[in-house]
Amino acid sequence: MYALMLLQASADDAVLREMERLQRNFTFLNSGLWVAWLILVVYVLMMVSRERKLKREIAGLKAMLEDKPRS
Amino acid sequence: MRDKILYIIGAVALILLARDMYLITGFPAEANQGAIFKIIFFHVPMAITALTCAMVAFVASILFLITKNFQYDALAVAVTEVGLAFLAGNLITGSIWGRVAWGIWWAWDARLTSALVCWLLYAGYLMLRNAIEEPTQRATFAAVFSIFAFIDVPIVIFSIKWWRTQHPQPVFWGGGSFPPDWSAVFGWQMLAILLVGVVFTAVRLRQEQFQREIDSLRRMAHAL
Repeated sequence: MYALMLLQASADDAVLREMERLQRNFTFLNSGLWVAWLILVVYVLMMVSRERKLKREIAGLKAMLEDKPRS
Repeated sequence: MRDKILYIIGAVALILLARDMYLITGFPAEANQGAIFKIIFFHVPMAITALTCAMVAFVASILFLITKNFQYDALAVAVTEVGLAFLAGNLITGSIWGRVAWGIWWAWDARLTSALVCWLLYAGYLMLRNAIEEPTQRATFAAVFSIFAFIDVPIVIFSIKWWRTQHPQPVFWGGGSFPPDWSAVFGWQMLAILLVGVVFTAVRLRQEQFQREIDSLRRMAHAL
């Protein structure tokens, strides 16, 4: 009876360990996929902000050049 | 018209990425590595896109030195920056995979180290460009540096063949194989990430044109 209980406990342990391993595996996969998407999104945001800055600079320079000949 | 084409390519890439994500999550876990193996669907296409960008930068840099046409310089900087973003993604996803498969975040083996050196070289390329004001000198120095940096690319690719590395042999090129449905999804994912790279490059290229416009406006402002 005691041996049977020991066997049951070790089997439960193995199942728990395997479940933990699978859970850990999924957590890391999830974070990996998030990172991959995040890098792309951050890069897009960087490009959008740079484009706005460049357009502002062009508009500023054009306005300055239009004003200069008059003055 | 060009913007419309870019939007269409971007939309196709996004649809493919979303579809692939749905299919990848439905695949069973790999027998030895478990679910973390699925990271290969991002890790490898990102590496191939990054190294393709490096190749394009190399060719564009040579063409700039021959022709002195600034379009090639703009192409070189655009693809280098996009490639750097993809290589960063490749290195980080690889590191996350390594933590599960090897129990460590990083190993100084030939593949990982040469890929990191590649990232640092191309980051150096962008820093060099920021450090030089005069456009012709900036483009010439950057082109020479880009050609020099490209030496590392074949080392990254062949390191797993030339030396014993902790990094696994490639699935398709190292005698391994995928189930047919996995191969198809991998192919589509490869195409999707390449298309994202094309869109990023086109947008970045347009920004370089804006930068040249700013340079010429500044020259005009100085002349007045």
